[in-house]
Amino acid sequence: MAPTPVQQPLNGQHVETVEERFRRLEATWMAEVGHHSSTTKLVNHPAFQEIIGMGRAVVPLMLRDLEVRPRLWVWALPEITGAHPVPVSDRGNIGKMSEAWLCWARQNGYQW
Amino acid sequence: MMSITDLFPGLRGATYRITSPEDEHYNCIAWAAGATNNWWWPFGDPESTHWPDTLPREETLEAFRALFATLGYGTSAGAELELGYEKIALFADAQVCPLHAARQLPTGRWTSKLGALEDLEHELHELEGTEYGSVVLVMKRPTSS
Repeated sequence: MAPTPVQQPLNGQHVETVEERFRRLEATWMAEVGHHSSTTKLVNHPAFQEIIGMGRAVVPLMLRDLEVRPRLWVWALPEITGAHPVPVSDRGNIGKMSEAWLCWARQNGYQW
Repeated sequence: MMSITDLFPGLRGATYRITSPEDEHYNCIAWAAGATNNWWWPFGDPESTHWPDTLPREETLEAFRALFATLGYGTSAGAELELGYEKIALFADAQVCPLHAARQLPTGRWTSKLGALEDLEHELHELEGTEYGSVVLVMKRPTSS
């Protein structure tokens, strides 16, 4: 897959790509609340909510991460996609939730 | 980026030890309960986290006490090492909203999973502060032989 092109600068300033913005928000999120177990603190954090607000453009980036290792993106994906592919028996199992999302993405034509 | 001692000033000059890589499979509650495959938390979207069906999904000290009671833990008078018992400690903020749990090691030191980050070996009160609040409850159960 070809790398996402960097957008052309406007007025000489660099404009963030979707991936750059996503990674910046991810870094902020982890730095500020990554040490918390509370889903309230993690999910309600502004950076996490901003990532969700970026919509389907970030789904391939999340899927790429899930292929490397289980990630808490499994909490954002239902909000973004409206899908709920995780069996009730696997709720809270981040590893199996990650696998369920990768399976769902393949079945729904996502490429990452 | 903030360092671990920025987040937890009580660790400055202490002999804490990071004992695992970052891992998002499990959190502090799971780790205190001896599990490493689930994210245990009562509040929020029930699709996201593990919590026993029989217990209230409330972010309250009572809910967490009930959780550890199902694992055989009863209230303990103190956090000192007691032969024949294993202990967990619950941290909460000023409103007594639970924020963290730690588990005592056979050495008397404590082990914590820092949210989505690493496991840490430390002295119990070194993690107290603005992030995790204070230790509000210690529970113990007989050590399995």
